[in-house]
Amino acid sequence: MTTQQPPRLEMRRVVKTFGPVVALDSVDLVVARNEVHGLLGGNGAGKTTLMNVLYGLYRPNSGEVLLDGEPVTVGSPRDAIDAGVGMVHQTFLQVDNYTVTENIVLGTDVSGALRLDLDEARKRIRELSTRFGLSVDPDAVVEDLPVGVRQRVEILKALYRGARLLILDEPTTNLTPQEVDDLFGSMRAMVDDGMSVVLITHKIRETLGVCDRMTVMRDGRSVETIERSDTDADHLADVMVGGTTGPGELIDAAALGAVDAEEVEVTVSSVRDAVGVSVQGLVVNNDQGHELVPGFDLEIREGEIVGIAGVAGNGQVELAEALAGVRAVRAGSVEVGGRSMCGRPASAWLDHGVAYVPEDRHRDGILPTASITENLVLGSQRSPGVRRHGLLDWGAAKQRAVEAIEQFSIRANGPATPAGDLSGGNIQRVILARAFARRPRMLILHNPTRGLDLGSTRFVYDQVRVATDAGCAILLLSEDLDEVIAMSDRVIALFKGSRAGEWQKGTVDAYEVGRSMTGLGEARV
Amino acid sequence: MSETISPAPSAAPPDAEPSNRVVEALWLLVPYVVSVVLAFVVGGLIILALGQDPVAAFESVLTTSFNTRFGTVETLHKWVPILLCAYAFAIPLATGKFNIGSEGQLLVGATGGVALGILWSDLPMVILLPCVLVAGALAGALWAGIAAFLMVKFNVNEILSTVVLNFISFQVIDYVASQVWPDRGAGHPATTPVGDGALLPGIGDTPPFHSGVLLTLVLVVVIAVFMRRTATGFEMRAVGANLRAAQVHGIKTSRLAGAGLVVGGAVAGLAGSIEVAGVHGKMLEGMQSNFLILGIIVGLMARGSMLALPVVAFGIAVLEVGAGSMQRTAQVPVEMVLIIEALILLFLLLSDIVRTKLRGR
Amino acid sequence: MGEITEFLTLMIPAMVPFLLAAQGTVLSGRAGVFNVSQEGLMVLGAAIGFLVSFKVGSNTVGLFAAFAAAALFGLVLAYMTTQLRLDQFVVGLALYFAALGAAGLLYREVIGVTMAPPLIPTLDDYPIPLLSEIPFLGEVLFDHDLVVYAAFLISAGIYWFMYKTRSGLAFRSIGENPKAADSLGINVTWARTWSTVVGSGLVGVAGAYLPMVYTGLYTEGMVAGRGWLVIALAFLGGWRPHLVVAGAAFFAGMEVLALRAQVAGIGIPHQFVLMLPYVATLLVMVFAFRWARQPAFLGRNYDRESRLVG
Repeated sequence: MTTQQPPRLEMRRVVKTFGPVVALDSVDLVVARNEVHGLLGGNGAGKTTLMNVLYGLYRPNSGEVLLDGEPVTVGSPRDAIDAGVGMVHQTFLQVDNYTVTENIVLGTDVSGALRLDLDEARKRIRELSTRFGLSVDPDAVVEDLPVGVRQRVEILKALYRGARLLILDEPTTNLTPQEVDDLFGSMRAMVDDGMSVVLITHKIRETLGVCDRMTVMRDGRSVETIERSDTDADHLADVMVGGTTGPGELIDAAALGAVDAEEVEVTVSSVRDAVGVSVQGLVVNNDQGHELVPGFDLEIREGEIVGIAGVAGNGQVELAEALAGVRAVRAGSVEVGGRSMCGRPASAWLDHGVAYVPEDRHRDGILPTASITENLVLGSQRSPGVRRHGLLDWGAAKQRAVEAIEQFSIRANGPATPAGDLSGGNIQRVILARAFARRPRMLILHNPTRGLDLGSTRFVYDQVRVATDAGCAILLLSEDLDEVIAMSDRVIALFKGSRAGEWQKGTVDAYEVGRSMTGLGEARV
Repeated sequence: MSETISPAPSAAPPDAEPSNRVVEALWLLVPYVVSVVLAFVVGGLIILALGQDPVAAFESVLTTSFNTRFGTVETLHKWVPILLCAYAFAIPLATGKFNIGSEGQLLVGATGGVALGILWSDLPMVILLPCVLVAGALAGALWAGIAAFLMVKFNVNEILSTVVLNFISFQVIDYVASQVWPDRGAGHPATTPVGDGALLPGIGDTPPFHSGVLLTLVLVVVIAVFMRRTATGFEMRAVGANLRAAQVHGIKTSRLAGAGLVVGGAVAGLAGSIEVAGVHGKMLEGMQSNFLILGIIVGLMARGSMLALPVVAFGIAVLEVGAGSMQRTAQVPVEMVLIIEALILLFLLLSDIVRTKLRGR
Repeated sequence: MGEITEFLTLMIPAMVPFLLAAQGTVLSGRAGVFNVSQEGLMVLGAAIGFLVSFKVGSNTVGLFAAFAAAALFGLVLAYMTTQLRLDQFVVGLALYFAALGAAGLLYREVIGVTMAPPLIPTLDDYPIPLLSEIPFLGEVLFDHDLVVYAAFLISAGIYWFMYKTRSGLAFRSIGENPKAADSLGINVTWARTWSTVVGSGLVGVAGAYLPMVYTGLYTEGMVAGRGWLVIALAFLGGWRPHLVVAGAAFFAGMEVLALRAQVAGIGIPHQFVLMLPYVATLLVMVFAFRWARQPAFLGRNYDRESRLVG
């Protein structure tokens, strides 16, 4: 580290609140020149919030920001861009029906105020993409591009604007291990070129793999800044979870990416002999009518967790919704508990004990304006249990809601609280409470812990174990490879809606799964 | 940003519930009062600017309904179609659909009612009157059903289809009133009167109010129970609250949204036949008055509460009855009342923001 | 004059209210603000345009006054949706009612109840030199009042702005993904505000044109649902200015057809003929909602600090 030159970025005592919630509690951060700086922490630690403040998306309550030693006021993304800050968000901020070039030049002084001319821009994009190893076709429409390429577009957007400090927010979430290696290569090229990079991540292995230094955040505070050479995985895990990682929480830690999942000993298995779910030749279309799942076979035994690993967009949503009875099946059969379910309405699946915890819990999981009570009734409003004299019995429903709030430790003012006012973790608890109230035979979990804080993540894992002990067949679809490997009795790699590989617990190799997820692996079915 | 930090629930011990309820009720009621007062203040300033006396104007707006029995009866007679058109708007809105077609549904409902009332004019009341009312509801349902069909089958935006159907209905009733059963002597497109058996009996002394008012009261209870306590009502609200979540939880969303429109149309159609059977005794051009707009205003002001609708509708009926006498006595144009109503609505919307700020988000 | 020439010559001015109002709708729509107060703004524009022209004696002043009045309503809509983030449909409906009330109030205050309603002069035709002398085309296209030319020029201008300029590229991105636009330093609030103000103004002018082109009279029902048809037209044109021109020709054609069929008396009751434009609209919408694209964020408010969006 050079001591004469001021650091690239210095943030001092930044405070940000959302209503009563203190998201950032006087956070300090120093990023040097020419370094990859890891911003490490569990979900909810405040990493993204801090960077959104730096990028002008959130207005801090107080605190200072210095770039290259100069104090700056970042009131909007425009200010951040002008100050040389670029940010790649977790969800890509792209105009789907624009081309790569159009997305990149958007908002810049591209030549031709009165007559748009993109030739110059195209040339520059080509040049940048060669220099940093980020290959894209400048004329492709972004909605047609795979996730990995769309991410390169996001990075090019920042580079095109001459960013000196690039923030990457959980950039590896949807990438295969191979793509992650490429990305890390590009990051090094940027640092060699004189830039600084901030890598937001909750995965210890990643920070150790690419970062020069790292700052660990927890509960809206920066806990410690550490040199790469002074630390190792165990130490980081300790700092990250607050030094409470006992041996019993090893699987959780693995699922969080703190330790390598392959090394975790198999604990007690609850897998029974009886077949819980049997799927044959399942063909499912997506919303546009394209065949995204071309024929899928699957057997899940009672008490077994089958994990599906795959890059988003390879048919996970379609598969999950088809197996939940929500999406129409083109062909094939699904048997749950020995009963054939295909062709029955979604309500029949629910009644038969198929529970679905959807990926997007706000969009698909709750009625935001309705009370917790009403949300817990949702889906069973026609079953006899909630009715009296043919009418809905809200008194009894409220009573059950009070019990669920207690049992699932939902933090709310009471059963009348609108579900939309709850935090993500509490919303997920409501959804789980609803799912478990029906004693499911089959449980489909899609990205069940995405965006949850540590406590809620653990709660979800605990509930999953309770369910398997009761003999529930579980299908876990997750973009978090560590989570899939740590939780599942069997891992299936999904590529273009088909099985591209299968591993029993204890025989999984993350790189091998990654290759299969991108269609490069040898199928071991 | 993933919403990960649990909001610290503001400390409200469960045993504090009764006083909580009073507070909640106040948070609910105060915005209405403030919005009405503010709207009248702004309206009064406009009236001053027009060079008239706002106090006299508002006095006649607010008291006409209660000063004479005639005013009260007129208010009740206005309350019925305004409330029914408000239901026609609010029921589909519960599923997230905007029905801007209640006047078309009302007119076609009136057409259905008047057709039976004229064709079967000799039948006794016990048979004819129910037939007329049911025919009105069915015709309204059918008319809204066109929009529902286009929406469910072809994804046609219901706002546009219901509005466009209004303009078609104007021609339909013009045709019926000037070609099919014209009353040449009326000097205005109108049908011949319906048979005596098709008329809703009056209640009370001169002037009596028609029994459609009681029918409407029954309907208020039925609709409230339907929306709150039946599975279908719950499902409709679920669709409105979050279409995708409803779908994922086994609710047939597009069918329910279509059904909401049809039910709304039936209620508006019933309003049409009640107008025929209770007020006019025939169908005439312009009988839709401005019930469409008033129904939407009431529906929006009630903010999804089926119980608030009748109360708000009564308030609007009072304003509407008062508007005419305001124009006569204070020389302030009737349109002033529409402006005040729009202002109440806007202030009510704004009150949400103030309330959120006051409660500290 | 041949039947076709005459039909087309009538159709061009009939397109003007549809064109102006639909382009206004498209303008704010592409930035994500779905204005549903068109019908009210057109009625208000017609009343203000008529009254100001009548009092001042100049149709031009009347047109500008109508623009200003409707633009003011647009400003309220923009403020309430971009700053206060109130529901666009509900605010739009409230403004529709307020505009209707204001129009009626003003007419009654200024004119009162009279046996002989006042008249304003209709707009003069300005044949374009040389061009208007081209046989057939000259008569159809280049022999109209100035507002006709202006409406087409405005359409072309909006198209050019949206698709041929740097700011247009940025502008359109707001209706598709405002968060993306915002993250690149594009001012979402400003774009939504000015486009809603200007767009609403155009809707007002569209209304003001009605009393000035045919009769010189203002009547209460003269807008006759055009404000709603215009929204259908925006959907039909896929929220693209050049396709809106084609759609406006269709709507205007239907209107002229219905009028001429009524005058000619073709044996079916005139009520059914007058239904024609509306029935055609219903049928056309069946196709419009199947193929036409709409801005992905149309009708939705953007809140930078919302923790749930994206």
